Amino acid sequence: MRVLICIDDTDNLESRGTGELAENLAAEIQDRKWGHCEFVTRHQLLVHPDIPYTSHNSSMCFAADIDEQNLPALVKRAKAFLVEESAPGSDPGLAIAILERLSDETALIDFGRRAKQVVLNKQNAYDLAAAHNIHLSEHGGTGHGVIGALAGIGLRMSGNDGRLKGWLRIPANDGVAKVSDIVDHFDLGGVRTISGELLAHDDLIAVGEKPKAVFLNGKPYLLVSPLAEAATVRWQTSSRRELKQF
Amino acid sequence: MWFYIEEGRKLFLHGQEDYTAAAHAAEACPAFREDVEEEWVTDEKRSCYNCRLRRWTADSFQCQSSTE
Repeated sequence: MRVLICIDDTDNLESRGTGELAENLAAEIQDRKWGHCEFVTRHQLLVHPDIPYTSHNSSMCFAADIDEQNLPALVKRAKAFLVEESAPGSDPGLAIAILERLSDETALIDFGRRAKQVVLNKQNAYDLAAAHNIHLSEHGGTGHGVIGALAGIGLRMSGNDGRLKGWLRIPANDGVAKVSDIVDHFDLGGVRTISGELLAHDDLIAVGEKPKAVFLNGKPYLLVSPLAEAATVRWQTSSRRELKQF
Repeated sequence: MWFYIEEGRKLFLHGQEDYTAAAHAAEACPAFREDVEEEWVTDEKRSCYNCRLRRWTADSFQCQSSTE
């Protein structure tokens, strides 16, 4: 079965980031041979004076394909993991959704999108989670992280939100790589411009420092921008500034 | 100064898109701490925009450093 696992508000100014914890949890799930985990996506939520957050208010989500028999152990371990690993003063929340048991994806996606626009409360999150058989739990502090954790599930489910944690280590010759090689190597949905133009398989890309992928149409995509002086190579990987909007 | 003091906190006066000012402010700051990679928003590593101690607000960010 396919599950989405999302955590939020696990850090403080001195601790590891929530993204690293998500990666560690995913690695542990695989080490225990409970299933296979995908990449972690970062989802930006609303920044507002009424919302407590450490510095950026983002949640971290990953998908996992697991055997159904391992689900109870996974939920139990994920809860314990957050208790053990979350930083003092944080307000961690955990959400786990079993995709085949969801009756209405639209409400969850809508919750995720609203969490980017308006201030939501814990009761909003618990009510929605209960209505859709989603595990939602808090593990310290105020537990406000449940809001972002559930929102992250909805945003990942939307297929069109967030950046992937980490960067693509693209094999390149003299700083240049071909689209088809990049797509095959990283199993991307494609290479495209920020405005949505999909590049051809034989297009060449100038590979910049630590290029990142974004989550679009349910797949990771590498985004590129036109080179100012285009020759054989017309594109370069987009900068962090350009990716900020994702 | 790039910042002013407001209720004991420093608010960056240049918003979220002045990459030059954010880099200059970080260059001179002894408290700068690079944030985790997934929170970088500019390619200059040493920028207040990439600092662990910046706390985003709707229009800019507050600096959580105690260093003035």
